[in-house]
Amino acid sequence: MTAAVLPVWWDPAGDGPGNMAADELLADEAERRGGPVVRIYGWTTTTVSLGAFQPLAEAEACPAIAGLPLVRRPSGGGAIIHGSDLTYAAAVPKGHPWGSTPQALYDAMHEAMATVLGQMGVAARLHVPTDADPPADAFLCFARRSAGDLVTPPHGSPASGGDAKIMGSAQRRLGTAVLQHGSLLLATNTSVGQEARHSGLADLVPGNASSNDVGGWQARRIADLWLGRVAESLGIVREFQPEPFRIGREDAIELRAIRFRDPRWTGRR
Amino acid sequence: MAANLKFAKTHEWIRPDADGLATVGVSSYAVEALTDLVFMQLPPVGKKVKAGESIGEIESVKAVSDLYAPVSGEIVEVNTALPSQLETLGKDPYGAGWIVRIRPDAPSELENLMDQSAYEALVKS
Repeated sequence: MTAAVLPVWWDPAGDGPGNMAADELLADEAERRGGPVVRIYGWTTTTVSLGAFQPLAEAEACPAIAGLPLVRRPSGGGAIIHGSDLTYAAAVPKGHPWGSTPQALYDAMHEAMATVLGQMGVAARLHVPTDADPPADAFLCFARRSAGDLVTPPHGSPASGGDAKIMGSAQRRLGTAVLQHGSLLLATNTSVGQEARHSGLADLVPGNASSNDVGGWQARRIADLWLGRVAESLGIVREFQPEPFRIGREDAIELRAIRFRDPRWTGRR
Repeated sequence: MAANLKFAKTHEWIRPDADGLATVGVSSYAVEALTDLVFMQLPPVGKKVKAGESIGEIESVKAVSDLYAPVSGEIVEVNTALPSQLETLGKDPYGAGWIVRIRPDAPSELENLMDQSAYEALVKS
């Protein structure tokens, strides 16, 4: 089966376990449809998502995020502080060209965003690893660098050295599908301590910018252009779905969310 | 690569051994695709698994992948040295990079898996 459209769900804010559960169902949806699918969503409150195997102790030892809700993702990578970012989940069947290797889907989503940021006047490119990179195992995702991360010229990120990371993603490679989580940093998240703050897109564009309105660019418009570009690279069109992904899947999401609420999952490492 | 290896679509290999057990690992193709490996979680000895069930997880810089049992059976041995020597998976995926040994419930399940040429065709497609 070849998918003719890229279905996109624009979901309202949810809590961490509910969002992770919905994303697992999104992977099922990709398999069912035989093509890529995307869900964009918000968070009911500033939330920290941990990578699948990050030690919980590292989060507990970070005073800048003390007291924030925490959820462990099924995907890898570093911790992300959600609240001033554009969060997405993309899923493809493993048989899809973007499912064959981790880098394929990673680059596809990031290259498309680089093009859109270029339209906004922001020079962004895919990162090529160098010996000067910050540690690959830094606690926070936006303090790490790996091949294909979307980076911009320096704009005030603390201790980042050279270029600043503006978008990162990580995957869970399931038996027959790939689930990719990712985040575009729209603005500095001021709900956390200084050492966990990273400046975002709003710091790069002129005008009065915030995570809701980046110099006149609404997050929805950025996502619209970005996913249009993603779909275009496959020769298909992006199709926003009329209802949120959760509608009609409430029970299934709640069932899967049980695992993500379980302290044994959060504390698995 | 040994000639008597069988492969799952999920990139695990399995080799029947003379003692009735079978050794399981992941293919060099999968290891290369995952790139820089950073963490691995293995199953406990004694765990009973069905073919296709997860027997562990492996994390690279970008991705976490499940490892799946190619056949049903009981995990009787685990390569406990592997998580602290992940580079072995890249250097010797079909030898020292073995992951677990399984006592298969039904050796006939091996017939459901691909031989080397079929697997190579799969990864080239």
